[in-house]
Amino acid sequence: MKPTGILFFPAFDWAISPTHPEREERLLYTRDQIFEEGIMDLPQIREYEPGIASHSDVARLHFCIPDVAAQVTEAHLISAGSSLRIADAVMQGEVRNGFAIVRPPGHHSMTVSHGNRGFCNINNEAILVEYLRHKYNIKKVAIVDTDVHHGDGTQEIFWDDPDVLFISFHQDGRTLYPGSGFLDELGGPLAYGTTINLPLRPRTTDTGILYALDELIMPLLDEFKPEIVINSAGQDNHYTDPLADMAFTAQGYAKLNSRLAPDIAVLEGGYSVETALPYINMGLIMAMAGMDYSSLREPDFNPVRFQESSGNLEYIKQMVDRQLNAFRHREEVINANRKKGDDFFKSQRSIFYDTEYISEDQRISLRNCNKCGGFRIIDSSAQHHDGKYYTAYCISVPFWACDGCQQEARSLYADVLRKTPNRQVFLQDRPANQFRCYDVETEKETIL
Amino acid sequence: MLIGIDVGGTYTDGVIFDQGEIKASTKASTDSEDIKGSVLRVLEQLLGARNPQDIQRVVLGTTLVTNILATGRGEPAGLLLLPGYGLPHDAYSISPHTWYLKGAVDFRGREIEPLDQKELAEALRAISAKGLSRVAVAAKFANRNSKHEQEIREYILENYPDIKVSISSEVSGKLNFPRRAVTTYFTAMTLSEWNKFADEIESALQQRGIDTSADILKADGGTVSLASSRIMPCETVFSGPAASTMGALALNRDKLNSVVIDVGGTTSDISLIIDGEPLYAAKGAVIENHLTHVNAFAVRSLALGGDSPIIVVNGIPELSPIRQGPAACFGGQVPTVIDAFNIHYALNIGDAEASQVKLASMAGDHALSLDQMTAVIVEKVTERLMKAIEEMFSQWEKEPAYKVWEVIHRRKFELQQLIGIGAAAEAILPPLAERMGVHLFMHKYSAVANALGASVVRPTLSVQVHVDTAANICTIDPGGKQAPLPQGAKTQLEDVKALACKYLVGIGGERGMGDYTGEYKFFMQEQFNTIRGYSGSGKLFDVGVQVKPGFIKEYKGVRS
Repeated sequence: MKPTGILFFPAFDWAISPTHPEREERLLYTRDQIFEEGIMDLPQIREYEPGIASHSDVARLHFCIPDVAAQVTEAHLISAGSSLRIADAVMQGEVRNGFAIVRPPGHHSMTVSHGNRGFCNINNEAILVEYLRHKYNIKKVAIVDTDVHHGDGTQEIFWDDPDVLFISFHQDGRTLYPGSGFLDELGGPLAYGTTINLPLRPRTTDTGILYALDELIMPLLDEFKPEIVINSAGQDNHYTDPLADMAFTAQGYAKLNSRLAPDIAVLEGGYSVETALPYINMGLIMAMAGMDYSSLREPDFNPVRFQESSGNLEYIKQMVDRQLNAFRHREEVINANRKKGDDFFKSQRSIFYDTEYISEDQRISLRNCNKCGGFRIIDSSAQHHDGKYYTAYCISVPFWACDGCQQEARSLYADVLRKTPNRQVFLQDRPANQFRCYDVETEKETIL
Repeated sequence: MLIGIDVGGTYTDGVIFDQGEIKASTKASTDSEDIKGSVLRVLEQLLGARNPQDIQRVVLGTTLVTNILATGRGEPAGLLLLPGYGLPHDAYSISPHTWYLKGAVDFRGREIEPLDQKELAEALRAISAKGLSRVAVAAKFANRNSKHEQEIREYILENYPDIKVSISSEVSGKLNFPRRAVTTYFTAMTLSEWNKFADEIESALQQRGIDTSADILKADGGTVSLASSRIMPCETVFSGPAASTMGALALNRDKLNSVVIDVGGTTSDISLIIDGEPLYAAKGAVIENHLTHVNAFAVRSLALGGDSPIIVVNGIPELSPIRQGPAACFGGQVPTVIDAFNIHYALNIGDAEASQVKLASMAGDHALSLDQMTAVIVEKVTERLMKAIEEMFSQWEKEPAYKVWEVIHRRKFELQQLIGIGAAAEAILPPLAERMGVHLFMHKYSAVANALGASVVRPTLSVQVHVDTAANICTIDPGGKQAPLPQGAKTQLEDVKALACKYLVGIGGERGMGDYTGEYKFFMQEQFNTIRGYSGSGKLFDVGVQVKPGFIKEYKGVRS
C-alpha cells in the first residue's frame, strides 16, 4: 500500500503577536510528540518538504486588496504552498492521502481579502481547490470543515459554486465566533444545497459528532460523489480547547478521519497546544495511514467523563434529517430560482475583520445562467488599518463557467474599467488562468 | 609520527604520516573473524624497524561493531520498552526479547503514569529465566525525564546484580524513541565485545612500546579516545566512509562544494562536502536496517567498483555486483570495470594486454565489437554514478524545513569539484567529471586517503541542552543528567548557551579532548515562549554546541 504524505510546517519563526494563540509555540509539542514517536521514519509515512504558493495561486482564488503582497507574508505563502505540495503528492499517486500540518490557518478568509479575519489572511483549502481544477481538471470537490468555528470564509468562497460541497459542523454560532453557520445557510441561488451547516450545542461529545458523520456527512458524500475529499482539519472541538467549549477527544478525531477517509487534510484551528494538538495530530496521522490508533489517548483521558445526553442526540438527529432533505431537493430549488430570477441575483453584506478591526461593505451580483453556476461580481469597499479607504470591483469567473459567462465577464471588465468609481478593477479569469488588476488612478494593469 | 589504520570490508589500509608526507603505507586483507588480528598485522608492517617511541598518535577505524551486529554475534540482550500511549506495540520490531511496560511521561517531562512494579518484577523474572545478562531500557520522552529508566535500573541492580543495564536517556538526548531504543539495544549487544577489543588493542600497543593510547574513528568523522569509546561503541560504525571523506578534505582543504567518490573494489561510496564541510545523514546512521541516533555522514554506497565483473545478458554488456577477484590486468580471471576503462581510454594500467584479451574474447562470444563492449560499460558506470550523485543533491535540497527563514532561503547544490579517492578512482572518474562539467581533483595520496584521513582528524563532540524554565530543569545530552538552572526562571538564551559550553568543556575534559573543546560552534539555538492564558509562563530552549570534524593542530596539509 502507498504511504501517507505528511507535510509538517510549524512556522517556528512566525506569530501574529507574542502571546496570540497563533504563535510559534502552537505546534512545538506536536513536533515533540510526532518526532519522539518516530512517525516520520515509518514505512507507512512519507515526509514532504514545504512548498511556496505563487502570487498567481493566491490570485486564482482571492481578490487581495490592493495586491497579494499586501495581504500575505512569506509564512502564508508557505502554509498555502505546502497544502499544494501535499495535493501534488496525492494527485501524482506518490501517496494514498496526505496531511498538511501547517500554520498559519485559512478557513475564515473570504474571496476578497482586506486583512486578517479570525487569524486567517488567505484560505489554504480554497486555494487548493482552484489549484486542483487548474492543474488536474478536477470538477467536484467536497470540503468537510471539522474546526469548531464555522468555516465562514470557505463557505462564502464556494457559496455560488454547485461543484463544491461544503459541509461544516461547529459549535453553534450563537455561542462562538464567527457567529454564523446556521441551518438555513444552504448556498447561493444557483448552488443551493451544496453548502451544509450543522451547528452543534456546546459540549457535544464523540457520540454526537460521529453520529453526524455517519448519518449526514457520509451519505452526503455518497450522493454528491466528489472526485476529492478535503478535511479542513481544525482541532478545537477538543475538550481542552481554551477558545471553544466542545467535548471531542483525540480518539474521536482519529475515528472521524478513518471513516471520512479524506484524500487531503489541512490543519486549521486548535489552540490547546499541550493537551490536545500533539494527540489529535498523532491520531489523524495514524488514522490516515491506516494504523491501529487504539492505544492513543490524552494523558487525562477518562472514557466515561463525557456522555452524550439523549436530548442532544435527538436534536442532532432532527438537524441531520433537515439537512439531508435540503440537499436532496436542491435541484428543484435551483430550477425555481433560475426561473424567477432576473439577469443578475443581487445581494449585499458587511464583513468584519476581527483581528484587524476592518469593516468591509460588499454588493454582490451573480449572473443568472442556465448553463452554469454563473459568474460573480463583488463590489467591495473598506477602510484599512492604515486609515486609507480602498474600493475594488471584482469579477470572478469560475473555472467551470460556460462560454457565455466567460465572454460576458471579460467584456464587462473592459467596459467597467473606463467608468468605475472604484480605485481598482479585478478580473479573475480562472478558465484562462489569468488574473488582471487595473488601477484606475495610475491607469496601470497588472497581470498575474 | 602519526599512524592511521582503516579497517574496511575487504582490505585494511594503514599509513604512517609525518611532516606532511606519508612515510609508509600498507594494505592487507581484512579477516572479518579476527579484526583485532587484522589491525595488529597492519600495525606491525607499518612499524617495521621504526622506534615505537616516535609514534605520537594511533587512530583506528574499524568495522568491528558493524560486524558483530551483521553476523549475529552480539551479546543477547533483553529490551524493556515503555512506549506510553501512541503507536501500537507492533510498530517496534527491534528485538526478539522485548517486554512492554507501563509508565509514561510527556514532552515536558511530566509523569503521566507511574511504573507498575509488579509488571517490572515479572519482566525481570522472565529475562532472568531466559538467561539474558544484558538489558536495554528505553522509555518514551526519557530524554525529558529519565525517572522511570533510572528506577528500572535501580531495581535490576538491587535484585539482579549480574544483569548489566543500558538506559536510553544516557545513550541519546534526541527526540525519536524508536531510534533511541535501537541505539541503546545495539549498545547493550556490542558493549562487552567492544570492551574486549579495546583491552586487547591497549595491551598490544603497550607490548610494542607505543606510549600513546589509541583513538577510534567515529561515523561523524571525528575521533574519540579508546577509553571513551567504551561508552557508546555504536558511534564507531561506518568509519570507512568517514575516513575517506575526511581524507578527501585533508587533501583538498578549499571551502568548496564537492562530491567525494571513493571507488573501491566492490563498492563506490559517495559523500557530499558543502562549503568545505561534510554533509550528515539527516536521519542518523542506518544499522541493520534500523535508523539510529548515531551521527554519520550522508553516504550513498553503490555495488559498483573497479573489480565489478562484466557480464553479458541477452547480448547486452552489464555489470555484476559480485566481485570475483581482481581485474584481468592485475591477473584476475574475468574482465572487470577497470579492464573496460583500461582499453577504452588506453590507460595502460597493469597488464593491458590481459584486459584486451579477456574483453575481446567475451565480446566475440556475443558477437559484439570490443569498442561497443567497452563503450557500453563506460557509459553504464558513468550513468550510475551520476544518477546517484544527482539523487543525493535533490535529497539534500528536499530536506524538510520548519521555519519560514529556511524555506525562503531554500538551498541549491552547486557542484564545484569531484574528489576521487581509492585505487580505481583515477581510471574511472575522468569521464564522469567531463560529463558533469566539473574539475576532478586527484592527489598522489588518493589511493590511501582513508588511512591518511584517519591519522589526522581531531576529536569531535556534540552537546545539547534542553531547558524548561517553568520546571527549572536543564537536561544534558550526552549522559541525560538533569540539573536545576543557575539563573532559574530568569534564564535567557545567552545563559543557556553559556551552560551548553560549560558542559561541552566538562564532558570533553572527561573524554580527554584537551583544548579542542575551545573550538566549538553552535549548531542549534531555539527558544519558545510558553504562554498560558494570555501571559508568559516560561521559556523552552534547545541549544546545541559542537566541536565539528576537522584536523588536529599538527596537521598543516600534505606536501605536494
